[in-house]
Amino acid sequence: MTANNRNIRQEIKEKLNDEVLRGALGRFAEAYPISRAKAYENVEDFEALREQIKQVKLATVANIEAVSDRFEAEATKRGAKVFRAKDGNALKEYLLNLCREKGVKRIVKSKSMASEEIHLNHDLEAAGLHVKETDLGEWIIALAGHKPSHMVMPAIHLNRQQVAEYFSKELQEDIPPEIPLMVQVARQTLREEFLQADMGISGANFGVAENGAIALFTNEGNARLATSVPRIHVVIIGYEKLIPTLKDAVPIMRTLPRNATAQLMTSYMTMISGTTPTMVKVCEEWVEQEKELHIILFDNGRLDAAKDEKFKEIYQCVRCASCLNVCPVYTLVGGHVYGHIYAGGIGAILTAFLNSMGDFEKINELCIGCRRCTEICPGKIQIPDLIEELRARAVKAHGLPASVKMVFENVLANRKVFHTLLRFASIGQKPFQSGRLIRHLPLFLAGMTKDRSLPAITDKPLRDRVAKLSRKPENPSKRIAFFAGCSTDFVFPEVGEAVYKVLQDLNMEVVFPEAQSCCGKPVLGMGDKETTKRIAKQNIEAFEAAQPDVILTACPTCTETWHITYADLFKDDPEWSSRAAALAAKTREFTSLVAEEYKKAGRLNKTGGGIKVTYHDSCHMKRALGIHEQPRKLLEAADGYELVEMKDCDKCCGMAGAFGVKYTDLSMPILKQKLANIKDTGTDLVAVACPACLMQIQGGLDKQLPNVKVKHVAEIIAENLDKKQE
Amino acid sequence: MKKVCENWRDALPAGIWGPQHFEEFAARAASVAAEVIRVKTIAEIPDVLSQLVQNVSAKKIVMTENRYVKAAGLIDLFKSMQIETYTSGPDIRAHCDTADLGLSAVEFGIAETGSVCQDAYAVEDRLVSTLPPIHAVFLNSNYILPSIESAVEVFSNVFERGYLSLITGPSRTADIERVLTIGVHGPSRFIIIAVDEEVAGGEA
Repeated sequence: MTANNRNIRQEIKEKLNDEVLRGALGRFAEAYPISRAKAYENVEDFEALREQIKQVKLATVANIEAVSDRFEAEATKRGAKVFRAKDGNALKEYLLNLCREKGVKRIVKSKSMASEEIHLNHDLEAAGLHVKETDLGEWIIALAGHKPSHMVMPAIHLNRQQVAEYFSKELQEDIPPEIPLMVQVARQTLREEFLQADMGISGANFGVAENGAIALFTNEGNARLATSVPRIHVVIIGYEKLIPTLKDAVPIMRTLPRNATAQLMTSYMTMISGTTPTMVKVCEEWVEQEKELHIILFDNGRLDAAKDEKFKEIYQCVRCASCLNVCPVYTLVGGHVYGHIYAGGIGAILTAFLNSMGDFEKINELCIGCRRCTEICPGKIQIPDLIEELRARAVKAHGLPASVKMVFENVLANRKVFHTLLRFASIGQKPFQSGRLIRHLPLFLAGMTKDRSLPAITDKPLRDRVAKLSRKPENPSKRIAFFAGCSTDFVFPEVGEAVYKVLQDLNMEVVFPEAQSCCGKPVLGMGDKETTKRIAKQNIEAFEAAQPDVILTACPTCTETWHITYADLFKDDPEWSSRAAALAAKTREFTSLVAEEYKKAGRLNKTGGGIKVTYHDSCHMKRALGIHEQPRKLLEAADGYELVEMKDCDKCCGMAGAFGVKYTDLSMPILKQKLANIKDTGTDLVAVACPACLMQIQGGLDKQLPNVKVKHVAEIIAENLDKKQE
Repeated sequence: MKKVCENWRDALPAGIWGPQHFEEFAARAASVAAEVIRVKTIAEIPDVLSQLVQNVSAKKIVMTENRYVKAAGLIDLFKSMQIETYTSGPDIRAHCDTADLGLSAVEFGIAETGSVCQDAYAVEDRLVSTLPPIHAVFLNSNYILPSIESAVEVFSNVFERGYLSLITGPSRTADIERVLTIGVHGPSRFIIIAVDEEVAGGEA
């Protein structure tokens, strides 16, 4: 499939309606975190292990030429032939020549994603070679003519009935859909292939420079057969799999099986260094011979990535695919919508580098930036950040679509125009709920859906209310400049009022710099760095002028933008980067500041229950800011409230910036899961600390669980203050 | 037969290996469907094997002539039981696919994962351990390392070239509906015969 004629929305719809896929992925998403946790029960420090992998890979990629030279030299010394293939064509040419020269007719393959990357089987078969995939899942999808939908479980999208149909067709006999029986059928059928093969092709999970060894992790035993029985063994290994020494393999060996399949170790972990003996039939007699070993070091974009300051990070990937297993989007739609052979967030990035940027651009929005993957990646890859960077590069190269560009440059970059538009929107909601223009504005301007209502724009934004709220204490403990963000200003001004109340109760002075605008995140999320810079400068100027002790927001995304994004945005501009950094140091998120102050004042003590409340962790609050205890402490300390945890409390609600509006089809099933988990707690109140989550959950509750209310933590605390005063 | 290391016992890092890790090793191995049989002496091995062979009605065995096989007199035992037994490279290659049982020796166990390490440089070791439906290994129950890290320390010292395997339970797949199924391309039963007695003589 070429990149340009794809209808992603249609493909997504089809996958969402594929009941087999939805059932399989749904069960898997439930089971995986539990079985993975069990596999780590005897690992003391996962963080230390992944830090080791990161450091090993960083050191390797910085020296990739030297490490690969050493690997080549050591493997060659031990009898292997090493060939460096620049791309798929070079690899295929080498392999086809080798087959001709050595009279190879039959090939067995154990799993190699690198070979799938270039559709190797197709070319080998076109040259008249008999090629068989021997990994059961790979064999199944080869029979089905499918691409893998998962890097570790390539046939997860098929059920036993479908597999039985493919088997029956291939073997020309009726194979019943019984799993143990089908596995035996595969064993018998493929056993003959192993015994007759002239050549075995394998991938490699890592390659060791110090002794030229390659390692394979398998469960079925096919890699042992493919590397032992045929007279020639060909290894296809990407540069990113190289490590300097055997000892560097320890953290990979300890995390790869645990993360990939929740096993402490796969059934077979094999390391092969140099040529090894095999048995070859000569004049009807079996005689021992040294097996031929060819190692193809595969580039295909990998060496370019190694030189890229940001994307050298892909060398940290050990291909465990655990990032897919926890991805709210992957676990709904599976791997095929990602277009090429690599799926999920890491797949999108690998596709950009190893296949084409065009393929990436089609799928880049499928990352919702929830950062769940960053918590479990054994290589500590910051997948969402890399995707954002790729988006920015795509925009730099091709620009944004004209309509979006117009909105960003003329509306969002101009606060007055933007805010005027929002005020108009509050009067005539209707015209703004549809149409192209609106889709690219901050999310709340979009339309309603069957399963979720979106809130109306307020007729009196927070900026019009602050004059009444403001009062100056005589000796304020702190001067706070409140950055409201679009949602609090124009949709949930009552959250802003609650923030004022809580801070003023702490004897703080709260000011509202009038010139503040959108934080810019929605624009940056689309890859438009230049417009984001213009917006950032306006905000920085406005808040410098306010001379606060603290810049406070009640939105995790705005906090992150002030904390990290602004300084990063201006990293090539010393003046603005230091101005941004000075403000970043003053930026605080509401719940963390209040919890800190309450603790000092002895007000952070657990109180008796009464009203049950459950807390939903915003993705960015928990995984980008690391704030998850403070809001809970505040709720527990609020008089009369009792905190009840919900299942998957930190799983995305499905809003994720503009995603929830743009990909409603995908957002709704994610929201439904969240609502089901809320319902199971039996509470009537959900607390959140993020306006986007507030919007999404409120919209879902409104339509589906009307008796349950959702509130910002600030509102719950403020109401408590009111109660006390009464 | 080629070996990665001629003397694995001496390669084990002093002070950290020993029978104290056996219980954890055995539990981890059992949890991945390996069958662990512990015996005190070599003298008990013939009984264990004749029982196994009878239970599975084995008619044909392929095995490497390792020190356990020699010390326990298994070639004579199987002969007396009228079981076809093959031990040479060409014979193993010709019969491994139709044998009922493969026998080999492994070098040490790893408590963290329930794995055993097989020095598989010789093709005979790889064939007897992969093609028959049942694979049984001999392991000295004292040679147990606590962790993957300690195992790699050993590899780091001895792995100059060749073929090494960690084997952890039988062959398995979950590729159809994620249902765990035992015995795909490799053996469906993996049996560890752990012997407390040190076995000298024969090749390593």
